[in-house]
Amino acid sequence: MAGIPSNWRPGRRYVGASVAATVALLIAALLIALWVAGQRFATTGSSVTDIGYLLATSATQAALSTVLSILTGMALAWTLDRLRFAGRSIVIGLLSTALVMPSLVIVSGLLAIWGRNGWVNVLLAPLGLETGSSIFGLGGIIAAHVVLNGAFSARIFIDRLAAIPSEKLKLGRSLGLGPLQRFTIIDLPTLAASIPGVAATIFLLCFTSFPIVLTLGGGPANQTLEVAIYQAVRLDFDLGAAVSLAIVQLVVCAAIIIPASTLSPAASLFGAQSHIHWPERRWLAAAQRVVLAILLAGFLAPLIAVLAEGFGAIANVLVQATFWQAALTSLVIGTLSALLAIALGLALGMARALQARGSLWRAVLGFPVFAYLAVPAVVLSLGFFLLARLTGLAPAAVAPIVLILANALLALPFVFATIAPPLEALTRRHHRVIRALGISSFRQWSRIEWPLLGQPVGYALAIAFVFSLGDLGVISLFGTSEFSTLPWLMYRALGAYRTNDAEAIAAVLLIVSVAAFILIPKLFEKLTNARN
Amino acid sequence: MRKLMIASVRTSLCAVVLGALALPAIAQDNPTLTVYTYDAFAADWGPGPALKQGFEAQCECTLDFVSANDSISALRRAQLEGDATDADIILGLDTATIGEGKATGLFTEHQLDLPDFDIPLEWTDDVFVPFDYGYFAFVYDSQSLSTPPTSFEELIALPDDFKIVIQDPRSSTPGLGLILWIKALYGEGAVDIWEGLAPHVLTVTSGWSESYDLFLSGEADMVLSYTTSPAYHLIAEDEDRYRAARFDAGHYTQIEVAGILASSPNQELARDFLAYLVTPEGQAPLPETNWMYPVLEPQGGLNPGFAEMIDPQPALLLDAEEVTANTRAWIEEAFSTLR
Repeated sequence: MAGIPSNWRPGRRYVGASVAATVALLIAALLIALWVAGQRFATTGSSVTDIGYLLATSATQAALSTVLSILTGMALAWTLDRLRFAGRSIVIGLLSTALVMPSLVIVSGLLAIWGRNGWVNVLLAPLGLETGSSIFGLGGIIAAHVVLNGAFSARIFIDRLAAIPSEKLKLGRSLGLGPLQRFTIIDLPTLAASIPGVAATIFLLCFTSFPIVLTLGGGPANQTLEVAIYQAVRLDFDLGAAVSLAIVQLVVCAAIIIPASTLSPAASLFGAQSHIHWPERRWLAAAQRVVLAILLAGFLAPLIAVLAEGFGAIANVLVQATFWQAALTSLVIGTLSALLAIALGLALGMARALQARGSLWRAVLGFPVFAYLAVPAVVLSLGFFLLARLTGLAPAAVAPIVLILANALLALPFVFATIAPPLEALTRRHHRVIRALGISSFRQWSRIEWPLLGQPVGYALAIAFVFSLGDLGVISLFGTSEFSTLPWLMYRALGAYRTNDAEAIAAVLLIVSVAAFILIPKLFEKLTNARN
Repeated sequence: MRKLMIASVRTSLCAVVLGALALPAIAQDNPTLTVYTYDAFAADWGPGPALKQGFEAQCECTLDFVSANDSISALRRAQLEGDATDADIILGLDTATIGEGKATGLFTEHQLDLPDFDIPLEWTDDVFVPFDYGYFAFVYDSQSLSTPPTSFEELIALPDDFKIVIQDPRSSTPGLGLILWIKALYGEGAVDIWEGLAPHVLTVTSGWSESYDLFLSGEADMVLSYTTSPAYHLIAEDEDRYRAARFDAGHYTQIEVAGILASSPNQELARDFLAYLVTPEGQAPLPETNWMYPVLEPQGGLNPGFAEMIDPQPALLLDAEEVTANTRAWIEEAFSTLR
């Protein structure tokens, strides 16, 4: 296709480039602050020695998790796209919830199902088929990652499939495409544009996964580089080594990200929600129902277990003043960081939509989006802490700002994976008309992009909001008894033998997340449709 | 509607930020004593609030607890901040990490005449003041396990599907405690004990909370915790099914300590607080919020529930300098068996 002239929409290009530069600078500043601070302390030197081994195990685990997550995500999206049933929108709303819950919650949900005393074993025990503690180990790590990320990729894929223009579907139907042809000719090209971004995000998440790997890993045999970095900081206080290891991790992740973000096929298909429903033939639809039921059981059972375990104690938690304080803090921070994440995602996405496939700029604009995920959490939070000290503000005063910023940046890859492909598709599809009519950048947004982007933007907002709602990484360095979020409160309850309180807070978090995932996209669909 | 929401969010956030900035201004006539500690200590259900109330009633000052994930993180945070740190006291290091603390050079001598402590050793340290103590032990559920093992050898001899859950020594105090416990008992032979334990280790969690949760949900038969953990279930939940398994060869001791930073402008006040911490009044909240033994008879006596805990004698403790010098090597030795 004819390219977009490189001097078109300079405003969007500058804004995108500045955002990318700012994020990259921030990461550099965090690392430099840490490295400089590290020079002040005598250290016995880091005792992290087995870096090669750690890299190999992390990469293997992450690659397996990514491939399986994408495949299950596709299967889920394919069945959900074809089937219509009561409660479908709730199921779709539930799909991303696992991803954004504190990992602690997901681990306990998984164990409630698959653990030694879990539901599966309780059902299988009379048959003499107990699975014992098989959830612990590499298999358990991968299972947990697939539950988290498979659901997320499914969610993105469903949105992409739903956006296939109805004329294409009508054409396919009149040509009498079989199920396989339909999938390869119509669905796959639509999904292909999203796969690299989603896969890169999932890979990074699994590569840097910390609590899940530690809890389900069964011990030091399954560990990630992230854990080693934690050791270098906490035990050895060798900040120089921590920075070097963080850079190693960044480089390895860059080797994954750069090809993924440069070479990803350009999204070419995009329309408003098509309201055409084209189900599969009866025998296939029946098979799809079975597949969907099995997948959903795997994905939703852990969440239902979390609800079931915590539901009884919710009343006790609701009367605690600290709970409401933490809830308010969580909501405010979640809202603000979601808005920030969307703003950053839109700025980068718009600029990237103007770049030709495979161009250097495309990589440059894509990298900051993911880079933040590749920086170890302990390095991030310490770096932020140091930067906060440099500004001369008390940690208590900057805590809200850091939380908002850090959570927005953490959610950025998800936001980007959600809104960049449709933005790009719109630009590619309409740029000639827009240029020919001399439509301004603002009107392009308000008349063309915004009305069609309601769903992805709504979902991106929801995911960013809930991401920060479930954050347990950043808050752990900035939380105090006065300044606390719901996950922090939950973690503290666990640390004080108050398992019931913790389970109740987990259930509350889950309910709020599901509500956010269902209501926010709906609200945006309404907002945008009202202007159609 | 959305505009309104954003506006109200903005005002509440400003309130949060301004509130945080205004706090020091309100308390200007009173000095503020800042104690960095681990989170469970500062939490609402920890000892922090009661100590704050008790000490502020007599000191004409404001006592603030600032919490980090764990005591080592609190120490690292003060280290990073250098002379600019707000911390006057770091509270929560223990006998296994005192050496790390001293190596930072941040602390100054407490210069207090300490009372006679009721702890398993003669306290001679000039820098740190002990405030509570406990012993590491494996906790089990007596409803599903009738005869718990009484030694590491017995534990190793159990079938492979008998699972224990332990913590990562690099991020958790009990996790490090187990390394030292086995080392104190077996010395050179520690690695063989770890070899034997390996098949029983269900998983190694990063913190105590995750592991205890795994145990409570029935994933493991025993969890590495404290001899006093059952006291919580007994006193707070009226539940006596959880017990600590008594090992005849003895249990490793953990004494928690607090120390004053040399950079603190409030040396006098900091000393007052440490002195208060080791009075019967200061000790009173500790047993039933921190679930450890007090270092001397607390005001109002010790809850009789504690009398039902196992006798941990002989209490084991390695020399602090030896621990600091060898911690990494011992962790490496233990972990090599788990890979």
